[in-house]
Formats: sequence, C-alpha cells, structure tokens
Amino acid sequence: MTRSETPSPLPFRLPAGGLIDRSTEIRFSFDGRSYAGHPGDTLASALLANGVRLVGRSFKYHRPRGLLSAGPEEPNGLVELRAGARREPNTRATVAELYDGLEATSQNRWPSLRFDLMSLNQLAAPILSAGFYYKTFMWPAALWEKLYEPMIRRAAGLGRAAEAPDPDRYEKATAHCDVLVVGGGPAGLAAALAAARTGARVILADEDFRLGGRLLAEAQTIDGRPALEWAALAEAELEAAPEVRIFRRTTVFGAYDHGAYGAVERVNDHVATPPAYEPRQRLWRFVAERCVLAAGAIERPLVFPGNDRPGVMLAGAVRTYAHRYGVAAGREAVVFSTGDDALRTARELAAGGVTVAAWVDARREPPDALREAVQELGAPFYPDGAITAVHGRTSIQAVDIRTPLFQTTLECDLVAMSGGWSPTLHLTSHLGGRPVWDEALGAYRPGAPPPGMSVAGAAAGGMTLRECLATGGRLGLEAARAAGFEGTDAPPPVAWPESAAAATLWRGPTGKGKAFVDFQNDVTDADLELAEREGYRSVEHAKRYTTLGMATDQGKTSGVNAVGILAGLRGQGMAETGTTTFRPPYTPVSFGAMGGHHRGKEFRPTRRTAAHAWAAEQGASFVESGVWLRAEWFTRPGETDWMQSCAREVATVRGAVGICDVSTLGKIDIQGPDAAALLDRLYTGTFSTLPVGRARYGLMLREDGFVFDDGTTARLGAEHYLMTTTTANAGKVMQHIEFALQWLWPELDAQAVSVTEQWAQFAVAGPRSRELLARVVAEDVSNEAVPFMAALPVTLPGGVRGRLFRISFSGELAYEIGAPSSYGEALARALMEAGRDLGVAPYGLEALNVMRIEKGHVAGGELNGQTTARDLGLQKMVSTKKDFIGRVMAQRPALVAPDRPALVGWKSADPSVRVSAGAHFLDVGAAASMENDLGYVTAAAWSAHAGGWIGLGLMKHGPERIGETVRAWDAVRGRDTPVTLCAPCFYDPQGERLRG
Amino acid sequence: MAEIALSPPLSAFAALARHGRHGRAEGPAGVVVEELRGLALATVIARKGRAADLAAACRASFGVEPASTPRRTAKDGLAVVWSGPGQWLAVAEKGHPLTAGGADGLADALRGALAGLASVTDQSDARGALRLSGPRVRDALAKGLALDLHPRAFRPGDAASTWCALIDVQLWQVDAAPTYDLLVARGFAGSFWHWLEASAAEFGLEVR
Amino acid sequence: MRITCPHCGERGNEEFAYLGDATVRRPDDAGAARPGAPEFERWMDYVYLRDNPAGRHRELWQHVHGCRAWLVVTRDISTHAIFSVEDARAAALARPSLVARDAAS
Repeated sequence: MTRSETPSPLPFRLPAGGLIDRSTEIRFSFDGRSYAGHPGDTLASALLANGVRLVGRSFKYHRPRGLLSAGPEEPNGLVELRAGARREPNTRATVAELYDGLEATSQNRWPSLRFDLMSLNQLAAPILSAGFYYKTFMWPAALWEKLYEPMIRRAAGLGRAAEAPDPDRYEKATAHCDVLVVGGGPAGLAAALAAARTGARVILADEDFRLGGRLLAEAQTIDGRPALEWAALAEAELEAAPEVRIFRRTTVFGAYDHGAYGAVERVNDHVATPPAYEPRQRLWRFVAERCVLAAGAIERPLVFPGNDRPGVMLAGAVRTYAHRYGVAAGREAVVFSTGDDALRTARELAAGGVTVAAWVDARREPPDALREAVQELGAPFYPDGAITAVHGRTSIQAVDIRTPLFQTTLECDLVAMSGGWSPTLHLTSHLGGRPVWDEALGAYRPGAPPPGMSVAGAAAGGMTLRECLATGGRLGLEAARAAGFEGTDAPPPVAWPESAAAATLWRGPTGKGKAFVDFQNDVTDADLELAEREGYRSVEHAKRYTTLGMATDQGKTSGVNAVGILAGLRGQGMAETGTTTFRPPYTPVSFGAMGGHHRGKEFRPTRRTAAHAWAAEQGASFVESGVWLRAEWFTRPGETDWMQSCAREVATVRGAVGICDVSTLGKIDIQGPDAAALLDRLYTGTFSTLPVGRARYGLMLREDGFVFDDGTTARLGAEHYLMTTTTANAGKVMQHIEFALQWLWPELDAQAVSVTEQWAQFAVAGPRSRELLARVVAEDVSNEAVPFMAALPVTLPGGVRGRLFRISFSGELAYEIGAPSSYGEALARALMEAGRDLGVAPYGLEALNVMRIEKGHVAGGELNGQTTARDLGLQKMVSTKKDFIGRVMAQRPALVAPDRPALVGWKSADPSVRVSAGAHFLDVGAAASMENDLGYVTAAAWSAHAGGWIGLGLMKHGPERIGETVRAWDAVRGRDTPVTLCAPCFYDPQGERLRG
Repeated sequence: MAEIALSPPLSAFAALARHGRHGRAEGPAGVVVEELRGLALATVIARKGRAADLAAACRASFGVEPASTPRRTAKDGLAVVWSGPGQWLAVAEKGHPLTAGGADGLADALRGALAGLASVTDQSDARGALRLSGPRVRDALAKGLALDLHPRAFRPGDAASTWCALIDVQLWQVDAAPTYDLLVARGFAGSFWHWLEASAAEFGLEVR
Repeated sequence: MRITCPHCGERGNEEFAYLGDATVRRPDDAGAARPGAPEFERWMDYVYLRDNPAGRHRELWQHVHGCRAWLVVTRDISTHAIFSVEDARAAALARPSLVARDAAS
C-alpha cells in the first residue's frame, strides 16, 4: 500500500480523502478496547479504519462475521450500543454515527468474540438445518418448555435489552406537506428542488446524517464540477426555501393509507446523552399530498462458499468506505461481480493504493470496455469466473477462483462482491403493491405504488446518475403540480454517461463450505434446497420454513437472491416463482419512539375530579376507574389494612354520615320537545311519565337484548332531563345517544350534551345526612320538601347554584349534591365542615361497594355485558308497552330460558373463610366440572352488618334455591367454601331507612 | 355552629400553571402559555330545523352570527365557536356584562334570546382554557396535535375540535402571531399540562 | 387511514370510531316482533346479519374525537379507497320511509 508523507496513525485509514474531520480525533470503545476515529465516521468505518474486521457472531452457527455493507441493510454488524440503562441491542454499526465516548459491545458470543464456545453449533449443523426446531425438538413434548426453548434462546439470542428503564425522552409529532421526498441522494435532491421551486411545502427526509446519498460515496461529476458541490448548492437552496423542511437522520419506515407516512428521527442518537429537554428520538407522522420515493438501491451479495467470511463485502460498501470515510477495507482485493458498476470500486481502491488482485466476472462475455478499464488498473480479468472457496476463518487469507479454463488460489484479504442492485422499493409495497420482475434490469421494480406516490432514480430501477437526476427533477415537479402548484420544466443537471449493465447470478458453483443467502438468520442455499425438496413451493412458505428474510434486516440483502435460487431449483423464471412484499417498518423502530410521551404515569391520560386534591389530603388511595382516578378508601392514622379503613367508612355511613365523590358518573343533559320520547326509546322503563322534579332508576339495553348500562335520570323541566350513567360507560352511552339521534331517529327533536365535567357531585349518605345538608343548602330539605327520589335546584353558600337529588346507593337516607366544578373542592370542604360535629367522614369505592352489595344493587360485576334484565331480577323495569332499544332481542328463547344464571345473594356459613368474586357455584359433593358448574360469584364483601362474607352471584335456578347451601369453589385461590343462598338484599329490605 | 361558606372557585389549571420559566432557560421563551380564567361557556344546540332562525336570533340579540363551518365569530368579548353540525360553544370573556351575576349568566341570556330555537347548557366549569403563543408554539403543538396549523391551512378565526395527546380539545386561532386558545375537559387538565410542559420544554416555556 | 369529515375536513383515523354496516335499517315494528313471527326474523337480520363484501361498502363511523357527527363512509374495504363521506343524519333523513312518515305527521 502506498503511503503519503503523513501516514495516518490508523492502520487502514487512507492518507487523504473522505468526508471526515481529520483534525479532530474522537475516542470510542468496542468490547472494552479503546479506538480512535473522526467526526463523520460511523462505528463501522472507524472499526475498519482500526483494522477491526470481526464484529459479530452469526445467529445460529455463531460463525465469525464482519461488515457486509455500509448502510441500513447491514445483516452482520449488529452491536449493543451504549451501556447500562441506555444499552440498545442489535444496532447496525454501519449507521451508528461515531461520537466521542461511544461504547459498543459485540453480541451473541460467549465468552468472547474471538473465542466463542457457541460456535460449536457449526459442528451440529446437520441438525440445525431449515426447520430444525420443528423436527428436532418435537419429542418429548414435556421437554420443550423446560429444556429446548431456554437452550435455543440462550444459544440463538441477539443483543440484550437494557434492564433499567430508559432514562431518555421520546416524543411523537405530526408534520404536513404537499410533497414528501424520501431520500436525499441525487434523485431526492433533484425532486425536492423541483418541488420547492413551485412554492409547495416540501419535506425532504434522509436516514443519513448527511445529505447526498451515493454522491457521498462515489467520484461523480454534475454540471462539470464535483457532484458534492452540486449537492451542497442544492442543500443550501433547500435550507433557504421557506416552505422546505429537511429531516436528516430520519428514516421513513412506513407508508400508510391516504398519504400518511411513519418516520423516526434520531434526534440525539449521535451523542452519548441527549441535551436537557431534548428527546433521543422523535416519531413522525408525515401527512403528504404527494410523495416522491427516492430511496436508492441496495446491492446484492453473491452466493458462493465462504461468502460470509469477514472481509467479503459488498462492492458498493467497499467504495463507500474508501471514498466517504477514507478507509481501506483491505490491502489486497478481489472483485467478484456480475456487472459493470463495481468498476467504480476497483478504481476507488486503486486510487487509495489498494491492490486489485483480480476481477472475477460471472458473465461469459463482459463488455470489452470494462475489461480494458480493469486491465488499466493492473488487475487480471477473469470472465465466466467464480469464487469457489474462501480461506481463513476470522479474516480472509486467500480465495479459490475457477473459470472454465483454469483454477487458481489467490492471496487477498478483501472480496468486493456485486450481484447487481435491487431498487429500495419497500415503501411501494407497504400497502399491497407487488414488485414486478424486470428481466432487463435484473431486479424487481416497484409495481403500482400507493396512490399519491411516484418513484424516482435507482428506487425505480434507473441506476445511473443521469437517470436519477432526470427522474427526480421531473417527478418532483409533477408531484408539486398534482398538489396544486405551478412550475416550469427545467433541464436536468448534466452527468457523465455510465454503464449499469449487469447480469444476474443467483448462486455460484457449489464448493467446500456453506454459501449463505441470509446472513443474519444463517440461511444457506442448501437450506433453500431442502425447503424446495420438502415441498415448500410458495416463496412465502419457503421463507417461513427457512426463516429467510425474517431477521431484523428483513431480508434486504437476501430476498431477491432467495427467489432466484428457488427459481433455479424449479427451472422457472423469476416472475413465475413469485416475489415477497414488505411490511412496515423498513428498519427497526424502538418502542420508546412508538410510545413517545405516553409511558409510565403518562401511559394514557388520567382524569381527576375537581375535589382530587381534597381527597388526597384526606388520605385517599386512588384507583383507576375507566380513565378517572377515584378514591378507594381513606386511610386514617393507625389503620394498617385497607379493610380496616373500609369497615370504618361503612360504619360511618350506617351510623352517622359519609361523603363520597361521585363526580365521575356520566352526566348527560337532554333537552328538547322530544327529550321524553328519546328516553322512552333508550330505557326499558318509561320516563315520559316522570314528574318534573323527580328522578327514576333507568336500565338501558343494547339492541341485542343484553344490559348495557344503568343510572338515575331526573326530570329538571318539561323538556329537560339529566341522565346519569356509570363511570365506565359514560362515553359509550353518549355515543349511543348520538347514534340514536343522528341515525336511528333523526326525526326526534332532542339535544344531548355531556355535562359530566360541569358538575362536581357528592353523595351525602347516612342517618345524619339531612342534618348536614340543612346547614349547607339554603332551601328546606325536610322529608316533605325533598322526598325520596326528588331532584331540585338548590342554593349553596354564597348564592352558588347547585343541584340536589335524593337518591341512595348505600341504602341509607342519602342525597347527591352537585355544584359547578370550580366549586367542587370548596363544596367537599364545606360538607366536611358542616358535618364535623355529626361525625362525617369521606368514604371511597370499597365502602360504596360493600354497601351496594348489602343492598343488592347491581354494578360492574353484574353489568358485564352478558346479563339480561331478567337475569338481574329487573324484569319489572322492562316495559311491554313501547319500543325501546333491545326490546325485541331480549325476548329470544335462550335469553328467557329458565336455567339461565340469575341474580342471587349468598352468605358464607363460616365467617372466617373468605370468598372472592370469580368463585364458581357447585352443588355439595359435585365434582368441579363444566357440567356441574352452576354459575359464579360476581361480588363479595365483608359485611359487618351481616357478620360475615356476603355477596352476589349469577346462578342457575338461584332464586328458586334460596335457603340451600352450595359451594363457592375457587380454583385460583385454592378455596372451597360452603355458602347459603339468600335473596340479593342483606340490609333494610323494606327500604325504610332510605325513605325516612 | 359557624355559617358554612364556600371557598373561592378554582380554575382547572390553578394548581398546575406555575408562573415563570420552565424547560430550556436560555434565550426567549419559544412557547408562552396563560390560563384563561373566568370564561363563561355554554353549549348551544339548534332545535330540529331551526339553525337558520337561531343564527338570525343570535345576530339580532348579540351581534354575532354563528358560523356554519369550523370558525369562531366574535364581537365585543362574546364569541361563538362552531363545534359540530348545528352546535356551537358560546364564549364570554371574563368580565363580559352577561356574566355580571356569575358565569351561568351567559347561559341564561342565551336561553332567553334563543327560546324554542336552541337547547342551551352552561359549561363554564367544564373546561380548562389556555392561551398559547410564542415563536415555537406550532412546533410544540405538533407533538400532540395532528392538525395542520400551517398559515396556509389554519388561519385566525379557524376553529377545530380534535385530539391532542389522546385528549379531546377544542381550539381556535386568535391572531396571526400566532396565538391559539385551547379548551380541554377540566378532568384532563393535569394530563394535558404534563404533556404541554414536556413538549414545550426544549423551546423554553413561559407560564404567565 | 385518513377520513375527510364533511364538517371538519381531513383527519387521521384515530379521531374516528367505527361501528359497521350502514346498509341495515332498524325495523320499527318492535311490538309485532315476537319470537316465531316473521317480523322477528327481520330483527334478527338487523342485529346480526351482515354482508362482508370484498370491495365497496357503506359503513357507519363517528367523528368521536372531533365534531361527534356520525358519518356514512363509502369505501373499498380491500383497497381502503374512500369514495364518499356523508353526514349520517342527513343520509338518515333522506331515507324514503322516514321522509314519508315525516310528511304524513
């Protein structure tokens, strides 16, 4: 290798050139060893510059692997990037931008990369062939979970995920544009420029940290000057255009319906720790009128024995490392190619002082111009040739070359292979578009792209720079025009002619050693043969059987070769053999980015009532109820167990007075001349007959006849009702009403709007509740003025308008009092103040639940979507005189069958043994079997009043068996408890207390 | 015992909006937020077939013509924001004469003027309201709002009901600065605020 | 997916709730529809019987995180192409028998 006068300290760094900042040295580590690199390097280029060839072990056979590519298609160079909580497994070294202090670790090896004990798997290769896990580990089945699966997982793992929560921020955002250009190479830059000049809003996204695409990697000329100058001018013009947004380090990973695209921006992956307040990654949704896909092309490897040895690389990658990063991937190279494009690589190597030891061309008659050009570089040219073996394990020592005329072994340490280029058409097939085989091109072209997308440059099969510039400019302008902008056609920039002539070779001559098709999943040509032999004829089946293309690289370098090999095995053409389509994402997307802000406590929004802070002060323990946070119980000093707190709260309500925040119940304001008619159709009962100033319990069915929701609805005026719903169903009931008004009965003149958030509402329950309210409400609250089920406007202190409802869920004398939400906290405090000498205390959901069970009121456990009014003993609430939603279907014979489980109460015979919801009812002495199942416990509570465990349940013939003893059988908790059946009401069955 | 009194009303963001600078401290704040307190709000839904009469009555009584597209129309501190077919949100600024007797004065006035034409419901306590501005306000909102707020797509007076960070919001553009007013259900104020603080942090958030 | 609400304009599908077939019609003879009666079979069809065409279909959606209007979306359920989005209430009022019923009342 020729050295200049200032040799680089790094063994494989070329003396000059490359888009790296040689004036700055940065340090990084790989497997604990420190290395040097420069800004502008990737981890891959810096490793190569340091002479590190071995970067990983393969998935199945643990074969030593080196870098194959220089881009996102990389199957081998996967590392764990960063450490500790920021550790990110399976990161492609080829796209990991180098930064000072970068830490990377190889993965899938034990104990070390160079000496990997798991590589013994190679000796077991005969049993690890395609489908081995279907065959080898079949028997005995009992060993699967305990032995085979853990063993396979340990041996065939990829990287390790971080074990601590990710300390970084992630976010999601949306951006809109007229024209989205995917890819910032020559075609993409030309497209973005053409679209931007019309004034259209343009987004240009490129996954690299630098725009330019292939122009960064090749010595090209545009308009008579170095192509990079053209790219810099284009970039500057785009930067200055007011309606253009350039997204660097941004991968558009998915195309979705109607112009939506998913993209991930690696905002701060190129620094060790993101700056304060900045995210590491941002997930974008781009919404675009039109899209120009200019994603370039991916080079195909050649399939020959030993093609996975470290030092066998894609020819395009070899020149990228040389031209862009100033790195020689080796010192003596053999080029193995099916086309002319690799000439650029040979020239780039020669210019960098790397010996081109031979050009092996798979074509019988390669172009004379190519032969001459290669010979000018001083390299022997072997047409109709192939590499049949690679010598060396962790690096190449020599290769065997065979042509029809002779065979030779040639010393070298680098093989630059090129099997032709495949358009990066992934986004065109995300919505089902099937790639089309183009025999002349020797590649799949995009089929019909999704509506609104056009494909430019190499992604469309136009492999020359000229075609990239021409199609990019034309399609950029067309896209802007289609989005409603005007512009004039301009001639494309001038580029030199070049030859993209290439043949296809799916498989070289077989020889000694494995020939890999899918490097990441260790699938060889022999595996594909096996799949074919065993009858997996469809490409999709063969893929799944061999796992080809199913690794994290999704077969970017293997998919087309696999189809070619299968076609050859069947003696068919490519088109008849088939193709594979792609699904999002194009490259892996982290869960962090997909979650964005919504993780941990912000996983989903929570809703707090107006008196939340007051409840927290009172010692509330909160639980999510729907999206609301509700108090479960309030811990008082000295209480160590929630059941203690709950029992005290029940005693307070039963003996004095308690306050419960019920603001979360859905409240729907219904007005209009047909409000009553609407309610009659929504509820099983009749509300048109409800007097103004009164409330009534209502039951709503779904149209299929099952119970949907229940609640109390009050008539505030002749044409004005206030409906309440359960907390969980508030949103669904609102949708249901809107559906009824807009679609079922648009002729009804009624208007509905949610007022859940307008009113804070508190249950005030207990024998002393009236006394308490009399101190807070200006109006007379006597039993005569406010009888049971009364509903009326009231005046709160300071003249604030409130609402009072005499309703009871607890079974006690009870009210619900409402105030505008701004006064919610104030009202809670006022109620506490007013009841202090009465012994008032707040109570939570658990106490509420105990009391409703004692009263036999149905709630979530019974309103489970599988019960009818009849099942719940509420048939008397169902009118037979009118149409209402669910009326007809509720009459179905199966829903009125006498053996349907029906609501029943139960009490444990042994007060010391707990019974839980979910336990099944069985007859005494009956075996626990499906045939003997009688139903199940829907609700259970410790009742001080009943002196034991009580509850509700749904049981076949339950109501007819009251007084009998059955068992509550609980397999989950290992309990089997005798319970006595009773009527579903344990407390004040005559309702004297609540009417008093 | 002592006379029971109610403490003063609390706005939705009262406990959340800590005045001052949050997030990035350098440079001018990219996002400025202020809670709009004391707004009177009322839902107005047209009775069947009476939308045109409602619009006329509204114009006659209040000088504001409700829009039939997602727009906000306003006069002298009283605005009507389209919020759905045949449905509007009336918004009276703090101190508007109609709210002299309390926020529900707005609903009373509308009920009087629109009797037989609309169902009116007081919503003054149901929402938290924020006024958002600053040079990076669009960038911050884009982290939760999928709406296109580009000046070509959304202009002063335009209004929208949409979803922001998984929370229902109603917003409209006040001026070309740009300034936006945004309403969120009161119960979601905490979650919304946490999202806003996180999203605006990199630009610097000033709470007024 | 992006759906153009006739009231609000184009929005992402996350703002919409899907219900299903818009071609079925709720019968209005609940009183006569007892099990065994032919009217009952019509109700069974309304509640349970759905066509599942691989192609053009009319569906009910609601712009639930927007203007809350119910919508009739006509789209190809294979290609996801959307042909039209109508306001459901307007479409419902245009249904023949209801118009006739309104006129009669």
